[in-house]
Amino acid sequence: MEILLQTLQTFFGPAWPLVWTLLKIFGIILPLVLCVAYLTLAERKVIGWMQVRIGPNRVGPLGLLQPIADGLKLVFKEIVVPTKASTGLYFVGPAMAFATALAAWAVVPFSEGYVLANIDAGVLYLLAMTSIGIYGVIISGWASNSKYAFYGAMRSAAQMVSYEIAMGFALVCVLMVSASLNLSDIVHGQAKGAFAEMGLGFLSWNWLPLLPMFLVYLISGIAETNRAPFDVVEGESEIVAGHMVEYSGMAYALFFLGEYANMILVSVMTSIFFLGGWLSPVGFLPDSFVWLAGKTCFILFLFLWFRATFPRYRYDQIMRLGWKVFVPLCMFWLLFIGVWMMSPLNIWK
Amino acid sequence: MLENYFPVLVFIIVGIVFGCMPMVLGWLLAPHRPNAEKGSAYECGFEAFEEARLKFDVRYYLIAIIFILFDLEIAFLFPWAAIFKEIVGTPGVKLFGFVEMLVFLGILLIGYVYAWAKGALDWE
Amino acid sequence: MDFKSAVFYFLATVLVLASLRVITARNPVHAALFLVLAFFSAGGIWMLLQAEFLAIVLVMVYVGAVMVLFLFVVMMLDINLERLRQGFWSYLPLGATIGLLMTLEMALVLAGRYYGLEAMPDPGASGAGVNNTKELGRLLFTDYVYPFELASVILLVAIVAAVALTKRPRKESKAQNAAAQIAVRRNDRLRIVSMPSEKE
Repeated sequence: MEILLQTLQTFFGPAWPLVWTLLKIFGIILPLVLCVAYLTLAERKVIGWMQVRIGPNRVGPLGLLQPIADGLKLVFKEIVVPTKASTGLYFVGPAMAFATALAAWAVVPFSEGYVLANIDAGVLYLLAMTSIGIYGVIISGWASNSKYAFYGAMRSAAQMVSYEIAMGFALVCVLMVSASLNLSDIVHGQAKGAFAEMGLGFLSWNWLPLLPMFLVYLISGIAETNRAPFDVVEGESEIVAGHMVEYSGMAYALFFLGEYANMILVSVMTSIFFLGGWLSPVGFLPDSFVWLAGKTCFILFLFLWFRATFPRYRYDQIMRLGWKVFVPLCMFWLLFIGVWMMSPLNIWK
Repeated sequence: MLENYFPVLVFIIVGIVFGCMPMVLGWLLAPHRPNAEKGSAYECGFEAFEEARLKFDVRYYLIAIIFILFDLEIAFLFPWAAIFKEIVGTPGVKLFGFVEMLVFLGILLIGYVYAWAKGALDWE
Repeated sequence: MDFKSAVFYFLATVLVLASLRVITARNPVHAALFLVLAFFSAGGIWMLLQAEFLAIVLVMVYVGAVMVLFLFVVMMLDINLERLRQGFWSYLPLGATIGLLMTLEMALVLAGRYYGLEAMPDPGASGAGVNNTKELGRLLFTDYVYPFELASVILLVAIVAAVALTKRPRKESKAQNAAAQIAVRRNDRLRIVSMPSEKE
């Protein structure tokens, strides 16, 4: 391995840092796309089982080739461009939706030292990328020039911005206790504490002292990705598929990929901020990437579970939850954490 | 510091390329036979009577404005939260640093309560 | 030319071109989107100046929040382009005055050093381990407390103004009162009457 890297380095010369970065980026993106593909299958299987159905089982053994068949089908479908649409922006929309969903992955730490860009302001970068993600929705909704798409886009934008506030506040609480905007440092901060020394690391993670914020972040994450039960944006019975209604073929697939990539991102982020990232829950097992993957899968399962269980919220209820429940709750918890840290009972030394 | 951002820059560029590539692929591989019916907007059977880009309820603007203000507030909270541990650790400024933020939040809370009382956060 | 300069020139070119398109684009939505691009490039340039926190906050606040509002407004207020253009000549004197003033101000700032107006000294290179955000936090909460608290007052004024200006009296409000719904007990809704069973 070392020798191979050496040879490559001499081969590319000064362009090596770029090539090496590109390789690492592909090392993130390609598995991610694969995960997205199999998440769609997992979703159909899990929801199928929950509803006492079998789920896809025709294509390949246990239906394992289903995502590939879906992908191929979408590639060979015509991309229909509505006559009245603004052609340029019509294509910018899906590209932005997917590009922002990918770009946020640049700062995700996968394990000790395994992070592409170890930047100090990682949390801020994530928030910035999520807020840019709204453009994909707004642009596509407007460019489609169709009522359903436009309504869907506007609703979605208003919903996303509302939950971003709650998300931001929840993150402020995380920052207070970890004193860093660097994602790796946030994980390191969770390795310390009275319980961690006893070998019960999972009780030292942020989810316990920040329990309300953990829930707020998780629920806001679901709302932010427009997943059920907050998926009025694409409420089939009201506005069909919302901003995606006019899209077909690969243009539609991009929205789909973006949505699932965002779901995985939110799950990874929740694991990093609140569930100790790659830290092992108990002292006698080593920390490793497997833990992060396991935690992420658990939260992804919650996403699917919620979709199978809860009926869709009404739009006014969604906005009420975001603005009138989460924001005051976050403010209160912020003060609570502040007072806690000021008091002699401070556990974050 | 900047060298840490180099991968971010590359990642954003790769992200954009990945965002455009599938559409190019679809454009190349998929059939392309538009016709008038296919190109019409998704509607319930006949052409829409009015423009799709309608005037919207003022509440959407209001939500957007309130969002900006709270977003700014969070932007202010971030540096404070990042050094709060330090503030707590320094005996002299401990209370000062906390009260400062209390005043900041308190003033904004007035605005939040006002918006709530006026029904700006209501949807029906 | 090193890599950093190359990035700078690229971002600067995009910024200038996007800004030009903001004022020349016919479609207001396109103009707003070019403004987004301009902000994004400006954020990149700030990043080159090592202003990590400010650069990302610029993207977060301006691109993520302010421009969303702009887009909402231009998308939904179906702006009639023809009517807008009619008013062009009547607004020209005012617009030209403002434009001239701005040019003058910018010229003063840029030419300041030729008149011995060295406003701010070069901040100097910071060490490698300096965390931008924390450094900013330290300054903001020690030396610049009053401006910081004033900022909150300004935000308060903005919230109140926005609500007061846009909120129109309700016609028929049908907001759901979730607290009341949850607090409902059986006895509030249901009355159990005991009555003798009837026989046929």
